[in-house]
Amino acid sequence: MSFIETEERRALRAAVAELGAKYGSSYYVEKARSGQKTDELWAEAGRLGYLGVNVPEEYGGGGGGIGDLAAVCEELAAAGCPLLLMVVSPAICATIIARSGTEGQREHWLPRFADGSVKMAFAITEPDAGSNAHRITTTARRDGDGWVLSGQKTFISGVDEADAVLFVARTEDQKGNLRPSLFIVPTGAEGFTHTPIDMEIVSPEKQFICHLDDVRLPYDALVGDEDGGLLQLFAGLNPERIMASAMGAGIGRLALGKAVDYAKDRQVFKAPIGAHQGVAHPLAAAKIELELARLMGQKAAWLYDGGDDMGAGEAANMAKYATAEAAIHCVDQAIQTHGGNGLTTEYGVGMLAGVVRLMRIAPVSREMILNFVAQHSLGLPKSY
Amino acid sequence: MNIVVLVKQVPDTESPRKLKSDDSTLDRAAADGVINELDEYAIEEALKIKEAHGGEVTVLTMGPAKATDSIRKALAMGADKAVHLVDDGLAGSDALQTSYAIQQALGRTGFDIVILGSESTDARTGVLAAMLSERLGVPQITLANKVEIDGSAIKAQRVTDYGYDRVEATLPAVVSVVEKINEPRYPSFKGIMAAKKKPVETLGLGDAGIDAAQVGLANAATEVVDFADAPARAQGQIVTDEGDGGAKIAEFLASKKFV
Ligand SMILES: Cc1cc2nc3c(=O)[nH]c(=O)nc-3n(C[C@H](O)[C@H](O)[C@H](O)COP(=O)(O)OP(=O)(O)OC[C@H]3O[C@@H](n4cnc5c(N)ncnc54)[C@H](O)[C@@H]3O)c2cc1C
Ligand SMILES: Cc1cc2nc3c(=O)[nH]c(=O)nc-3n(C[C@H](O)[C@H](O)[C@H](O)COP(=O)(O)OP(=O)(O)OC[C@H]3O[C@@H](n4cnc5c(N)ncnc54)[C@H](O)[C@@H]3O)c2cc1C
Repeated sequence: MSFIETEERRALRAAVAELGAKYGSSYYVEKARSGQKTDELWAEAGRLGYLGVNVPEEYGGGGGGIGDLAAVCEELAAAGCPLLLMVVSPAICATIIARSGTEGQREHWLPRFADGSVKMAFAITEPDAGSNAHRITTTARRDGDGWVLSGQKTFISGVDEADAVLFVARTEDQKGNLRPSLFIVPTGAEGFTHTPIDMEIVSPEKQFICHLDDVRLPYDALVGDEDGGLLQLFAGLNPERIMASAMGAGIGRLALGKAVDYAKDRQVFKAPIGAHQGVAHPLAAAKIELELARLMGQKAAWLYDGGDDMGAGEAANMAKYATAEAAIHCVDQAIQTHGGNGLTTEYGVGMLAGVVRLMRIAPVSREMILNFVAQHSLGLPKSY
Repeated sequence: MNIVVLVKQVPDTESPRKLKSDDSTLDRAAADGVINELDEYAIEEALKIKEAHGGEVTVLTMGPAKATDSIRKALAMGADKAVHLVDDGLAGSDALQTSYAIQQALGRTGFDIVILGSESTDARTGVLAAMLSERLGVPQITLANKVEIDGSAIKAQRVTDYGYDRVEATLPAVVSVVEKINEPRYPSFKGIMAAKKKPVETLGLGDAGIDAAQVGLANAATEVVDFADAPARAQGQIVTDEGDGGAKIAEFLASKKFV
């Protein structure tokens, strides 16, 4: 066993970090504030194969794992460019299609996930279901040799820039506990509308309410079995958690790096403020939390890439929880270290608060992870 | 076309660089090693020439064992193979000796064109291209910002204080490049994965036919007698605009050869 990443993984991190540095925080923030997308970075990362590292080689991808994709996501975030859609498009959607799609679906989508030329959003959250996915009501009816999809989703990221959305629905004769069926719906499909939600997060990616009003789909819009059970969905959700954890780790590193630079430089009494233990110790503590959380993220990716979905589930949840908490502490302490500058636009620290705070809520909330660990890891009774 | 690109590993310019107090050589262990920045442009140019004219790109590095990281990166960018000249006997070599050692290694690889950076960021002597071409008896084209190959002719633009010169030579030749020549590529994921499988030949003094008495600190023609830390950055100069601010700034930039 080794806790040190392979030479290739480290070379990948170095290469991505260099690309990220070329764009950096200023690029990302400028795009976010002017309502634009990080298209140039996405396209360049795609051409270099960084967004498709996990896509199988026979479809033009890198043939690596989710651990490689997480490394890409973390390094870009650490360089100031957290690409939210990486969590969704290559991690959830490409994984589900690679694992459960038909040969036709794979040939159609995977080569474009491999070079980033396609983006697919992912929609599970509903206004009345939220954390309880078993209550979703988006329904697929059979119609001749196709499907008709109706329902509503909320908080769906990136619909405006996606080519298609992967919807989690249930088939009409299904009641009770969810046996999800997954449908690819092109964003231009008739009857599919999306409305932006105003959010207090500085990010080029936007969230949307999606309405599906009797959207007709061909039979092969369905990915996997029509009531394939939770397993085919979880094949995509473990990567989602691992990626969310990687993104949090990257933002935590970014904030901590800014705080350390500032603490070495800023002097108001005899020594730079970083010499005061009241400033140094909380930064050191945040660093410890962050490294522990990163390690759990790497373990989760390692288990997942090794084919242990069940083992990966627990580790991925723990990593997601721990990285969100660590990233929040890193950003909070970075703001504190910067004093008033922590909340200026110029220093780019205050604006990270919204993004890391989000990580305690999405893609799965802190409480739902604690529920999972209480029930599955500790064997405590379930309250809900 | 047999293209050899010289790649030097240097301490990251982002990290503090130090000379060792005992032998006045660079403390290479103290800082992260990276590819000398201009050498990335040399690699890119080598790859472009290969893409246009076919052939093979060989990376040639003289440096300690940890220089393999830089070799891997050059291979990940797309070079085909590498030769790593590594031997304790080479430590502390000066420019004259380095050019000799590299000449010997080039005797093993052969070459139609040798491409290198015009200057390293650590020693910055900027003399290697000239010394090599003299030793090899081939033309040198230095400070190139544009290179074109046409059969056995090589045409280049070289940067000068007043603009550029157009020069032409016959291959084989030595070409040193400046950063205006291209934009180095990032290694792709496939490039990174492929790099590990590419051949890296390690040469010691004997393998390369290098005479041990002609290399290394003890035999160097030059000696570092003394050194001091760089002075702290001085306060910038403030130009007060009295109607001629623009002209004064332009004058300053011109005096530093920025414009
Ligand atoms: C910026 C952003 C982007 C998003 N992107 C997407 C996307 O692309 N696709 C998508 O499908 N969704 C997306 N979401 C939705 C996200 O996954 C949900 O917001 C999240 O799962 C929480 O659901 P909810 O908002 O309905 O909260 P609720 O489920 O209403 O929960 C509210 C609070 O109650 C707590 N709670 C609920 N049940 C329990 C319980 N049993 N025990 C203890 N506490 C409980 C929760 O932890 C939470 O704190 C996004 C959300 C945001 C904010
Ligand atoms: C601080 C310092 C001061 C020094 N001062 C002197 C001095 O005054 N006189 C002296 O003779 N030596 C000096 N040296 C030694 C010098 O580092 C070596 O001789 C070096 O290998 C060649 O000099 P350079 O890097 O300046 O070459 P440059 O001519 O500046 O480098 C041009 C190009 O040559 C190639 N190249 C250079 N070295 C290698 C290598 N080892 N492997 C592969 N390619 C290479 C690279 O492509 C590089 O871009 C000094 C070293 C240091 C660290």
